[in-house]
Amino acid sequence: MTSIASDSSNIGPAELQDTGFKRLGLHILIFIIIIGSWELAGVFNQLNDLLLPAPSKIIVKFVDLWFIKGTIWWHFFVTMFEATAGFFIGVGIGMSLAIAAVISPIFRRYISPYAIAFNVTPGIAVTPLIIAWFGFGWSSKIAMATLVCFFPPFINTLTGLLYTDEDATELFKSMRANKNQYFWKLQLPSAMPLIIAGFKIALTGALIGAVVAEFFSASEGIGILMQRTSFKLDIAGSIATLLSMSLMGLLFFSIMEVLDYKVIFWKRDARMQQISKKRKAAWRM
Amino acid sequence: MAAVAQAVASSKVAVGDTVIQANNLTKAFSESVVALENASFKIKKGDFVSLVGPSGCGKSTLLRLVAGLIKKTSGNLTVHGKEVTEPRADTGMMFQRPILLEWRTSVENVLLPSELLGKVTNEDKRRAMGFLEMVGLKDFEFTFPRQLSGGMQQRVALARLLQTGADILLLDEPFGALDEFTRERLNVELMRIVSQFKTTTLFVTHNIQEAIFLADQVHVMTPRPGRLAKIIDVPFARPREISLQLTPEFNKLVAEVRDVLGGDH
Repeated sequence: MTSIASDSSNIGPAELQDTGFKRLGLHILIFIIIIGSWELAGVFNQLNDLLLPAPSKIIVKFVDLWFIKGTIWWHFFVTMFEATAGFFIGVGIGMSLAIAAVISPIFRRYISPYAIAFNVTPGIAVTPLIIAWFGFGWSSKIAMATLVCFFPPFINTLTGLLYTDEDATELFKSMRANKNQYFWKLQLPSAMPLIIAGFKIALTGALIGAVVAEFFSASEGIGILMQRTSFKLDIAGSIATLLSMSLMGLLFFSIMEVLDYKVIFWKRDARMQQISKKRKAAWRM
Repeated sequence: MAAVAQAVASSKVAVGDTVIQANNLTKAFSESVVALENASFKIKKGDFVSLVGPSGCGKSTLLRLVAGLIKKTSGNLTVHGKEVTEPRADTGMMFQRPILLEWRTSVENVLLPSELLGKVTNEDKRRAMGFLEMVGLKDFEFTFPRQLSGGMQQRVALARLLQTGADILLLDEPFGALDEFTRERLNVELMRIVSQFKTTTLFVTHNIQEAIFLADQVHVMTPRPGRLAKIIDVPFARPREISLQLTPEFNKLVAEVRDVLGGDH
């Protein structure tokens, strides 16, 4: 059987590496030009510190917030906790509803109008109500994060589970698979890429929800820190806080990327080869 | 490999007995859409039967009826003397697409039928490895489907079909999406494998040459409504060589099938 060869159609990673350095160089160059001219404008007194302070001033504030005064740590932690808690609750609710809707077509028929109505309502606008219901503490922030982030996992899980390949379904039927086997061995794994894509959107949404609720009324959290700094016309501090939020967003994003990389290995050639070797080594018979 | 062969052809039915029997079998999806009308035939143990005809002639419907995947509207259909009501352990199906689970290696895909039956034994694993070797995929046991070519993926699907242990194989244009060369090679290998296991095989295709080349019997079907128009016996002994297709006897059969289907095919 020499006539069959392995499919080595990896689209040249070598080629990518070749231009990688050039690309990175270009990225750094553009970054330096933007930040540099911004800083220069400050040096020549072209910037109003009440509107847009120079990058160096923002960096000083950033270091101050994190390492000298260290005021941001607690706020950062609070918001991260609210967003994470909201994310888990939202994902839990969203996925449970989706699975229920998949199991029962009747439930699906009667629940989806509400889910859709819910989704087209701007979640942020519900903030006053949420504060009224859940108070001024952490719980209203968590509720807000939950509210903003439950829909993507719901709709993605539902879609992913409903649109299982028809031929594969027929194959499983022909092999007399029961409902459990069908769910665990086919439906769920096929839906995983979509489900995780839903998680990614949800986690970003949870952060937005928590911060918006903090803006509205809170005594702790990164959102309220940002509000305080801007009310004091400490724009450099405000931007430094905003950068810290970006940092949190980036942290969330990276966690999701790692999850995606670990779980959806079959969409990535390099990972597939790794797993392939692992499974070979683990094979016993 | 002998043990593997034995494991598959473990049916108590002797070669030559009727395995599949249909009488006036009809399937209508609605009043106006009659997919299959009054089909009657008998298929003997160990026979290779091709169902050939244009789209809409009901060949896939017939296959799915035998598989127990859809319910008949009227008539009779028995497998091993029992009315078909649901998918059975003694029938296995293969489709035009390989339908492999992307997150499973070749051997894990082949093991799927065993997993669905219960716990996977070492014997199951040995059989799976044996089947992969048989379809020419030795050294590709731990490769994922996306790393395999279309032809190789279909080989994995064939190994999975054998792993079911079914002695009735239902193949729905299994190599229809592959290029001509791969298809021809796989046809020859399929013939070798079904001869070895003495399985009863129903093979759906719209390629007349392929239908005749593989089969003991060609069921020629015509569309709107789907009808079994003619059953043609193919006298050549199996296994066969590709060169058979160049002989006048073979081409006479091709002409006969074409005649039933009308000039446009």
